Amino acid sequence: MSELLHICHLYYDILNLYGDNGNIRTMVKRLEWRGIESKVTQLSFGEVELLEDYDIIFIGGGQDFEQELLVRDLFTYKADWLKGEIEKGTVILGICGGYQMLGKYYEAADGTRVDFLGGIDVYTTASDRRMIGNFIYEYTGENGETFPVVGFENHNGQTWLGDNVKPMGRIVKGFGNNGEDGTEGARYKNVFATYSHGPLLPKNAGIADELLSIAYRRKYNAELPSLEHEMEDAALNDIKQQLGC
Amino acid sequence: MSIRATLAVWAGKITTKILKLAGSGGTSLPGKVVLKLCPDILGCLAKNMKIICVTGTNGKTTTCHIIRDMLEANGNTVFGNDAGANLLGGVVAAFVSAASMGGRVDKDYALLECDEAALKSIVEHFGELDVTAVVTNVFRDQLDRYGEVLTTVNKIRFGLEQLPNVKLVLNADCSLTTSLNDLSHSEIYYYGVNGPLYEGTSSDISDAVYCIHCKHKYRYHYHTFGHLGGFYCDKCGYQRVTPNVALTKVVEWREQSSVVRMDVFGKTVEAEVMLPGGYNLYNALAAVTIASLIGLSQDKIIAVLGGLTTHFGRMEQVEYQGHKLNLVLVKNPAGFNEVLQFLIQQRPEGNIVFGLNDNYADGKDISWIYDVEFERLTEAASGAKHFYFTGKRAYDMQLRLKYADFDTTKFSVEKDYKKLITQLGQSGTGTFLVLSYTCMLEFRDKLSEFVPLKKYAQE
Repeated sequence: MSELLHICHLYYDILNLYGDNGNIRTMVKRLEWRGIESKVTQLSFGEVELLEDYDIIFIGGGQDFEQELLVRDLFTYKADWLKGEIEKGTVILGICGGYQMLGKYYEAADGTRVDFLGGIDVYTTASDRRMIGNFIYEYTGENGETFPVVGFENHNGQTWLGDNVKPMGRIVKGFGNNGEDGTEGARYKNVFATYSHGPLLPKNAGIADELLSIAYRRKYNAELPSLEHEMEDAALNDIKQQLGC
Repeated sequence: MSIRATLAVWAGKITTKILKLAGSGGTSLPGKVVLKLCPDILGCLAKNMKIICVTGTNGKTTTCHIIRDMLEANGNTVFGNDAGANLLGGVVAAFVSAASMGGRVDKDYALLECDEAALKSIVEHFGELDVTAVVTNVFRDQLDRYGEVLTTVNKIRFGLEQLPNVKLVLNADCSLTTSLNDLSHSEIYYYGVNGPLYEGTSSDISDAVYCIHCKHKYRYHYHTFGHLGGFYCDKCGYQRVTPNVALTKVVEWREQSSVVRMDVFGKTVEAEVMLPGGYNLYNALAAVTIASLIGLSQDKIIAVLGGLTTHFGRMEQVEYQGHKLNLVLVKNPAGFNEVLQFLIQQRPEGNIVFGLNDNYADGKDISWIYDVEFERLTEAASGAKHFYFTGKRAYDMQLRLKYADFDTTKFSVEKDYKKLITQLGQSGTGTFLVLSYTCMLEFRDKLSEFVPLKKYAQE
């Protein structure tokens, strides 16, 4: 039987902004090019019958219009399952709104709070600055190797890290989590959370392969075969150069 | 006409003249000068005129061109703003340039292309005048500029609220656009397409998945493209309205045109629309609705649609080294998907160039290319000779097509337009060039050193 990774695209029809679907496509293709199959399950409101164990869960960013609906669904149907997946070590990628939603809460300017999942030790506060533009951060991988990640951030929430998470990287250029402490994103167990649109994975093949490697190792107890990333690096290096880094 | 307004017109004309002499075209300075001297200049100059405003995400420029042809076929005189100059300053400049030194505009109609966000600042001067407003559609467009699609809808709404007597023409197939029908004072007309436009049509409805009124998921009888189509909400009952002007059948798709059957206020009309691609059919329907409102006869409607020249239909053909360069502008995922649909029908065997910049006018965030369904083109473009990538973000575009399973052995990145043009000229075949806005401007600028080009008349 051929090898297969099962990917869940959570709230695929709501958290679907800024080309974040490109992350799913990248994972699927980078598996396919290695001869590994993948199955993508699109999961939205309700659908409790689909709350199973996945190898990878992806959560993108969305519009404010649907946020209220989403939080209601999250707490009604999915909070226990998703927290369980996090603690179990399932690979999870959260982008922007999806990142914030994994955290504890969002606090508006007037102090009112919207409770989020509380799956990772971060919270977000409203600010009146729009943190927008191409940005670069330095990521240190599982094997200790450090490499640059390039993306596009677009948020006015400021996210603050608690003691139980590490940042995903250190900002080289741009704002990152809050524009103040030099951190970007959050890492906890196998959760990768970041503000990086772009989308993140196509031109950051290092991150894409990191996620796939961990998921593959968990399932098959073996190393993911290597795969070239020439055009990916060309895109990465080109924009890095344009940003003067 | 007040002395103040007359002086402002003079100042505007002089500023324009000086800029022209200085060799600097199309700046926003004349409009600013005029507004400084006379903030209500539009109100002063628009008196006694009829006004048509065209707004919405996609199709503004083309729709304006077709409406202009309709008005002229009806014997009306008309002026409008230059394509792309669709903010307040550009509209003011158009009025000033149409005005006599005495400050009179001697035309029947002002036909104004209005940016969605600028609509309010433009129309608030028109108060009680006879204004018709066309809203073509609302799609996700340059999100980093406007935020969400609902913000765009609200900006249009703020504009329309300034106009107590407005006649509204709305795209019935766009759930975001028809939500503007709650403006109680309005006389409203709808246009739309009564069935799927293509077989296997795209149904990427992600710009409007949930009902704008009750947030329940929409259902569809059929899709035309993007979130456009026969939508309905089975919770609150919000649904597509039966349009006054409807496309009932595409009789035949041709390379640069299509033959369609329409129901125009109850009468059946068959016409060839001399514009390529399905997206232009919506633009034609919007214009036909206007034509009906001004009383243009059926024969003349057919004649205008059949006589449109395609250089403004988002597609321009340039002869170079014995082969055709087909230039197409793309601004956002919905528009790009329509261009892909057109390319799928063409099954190109020549070169295809994709050009992407990330300047302000293109959208700083290029992630939208991952919302474009290149995968649908992969098979149809498998016979293409070569794929070139150009513009500031050429490498990102190249990577996008790698992930759409295009044949990477046919890929080249060429950011130098001059070298690219030379290579295309030597390739011995025709080329489709699909370029983002500022990439188009830069490329055409360079191309004009090789072949004579018309002034760029596209938004």
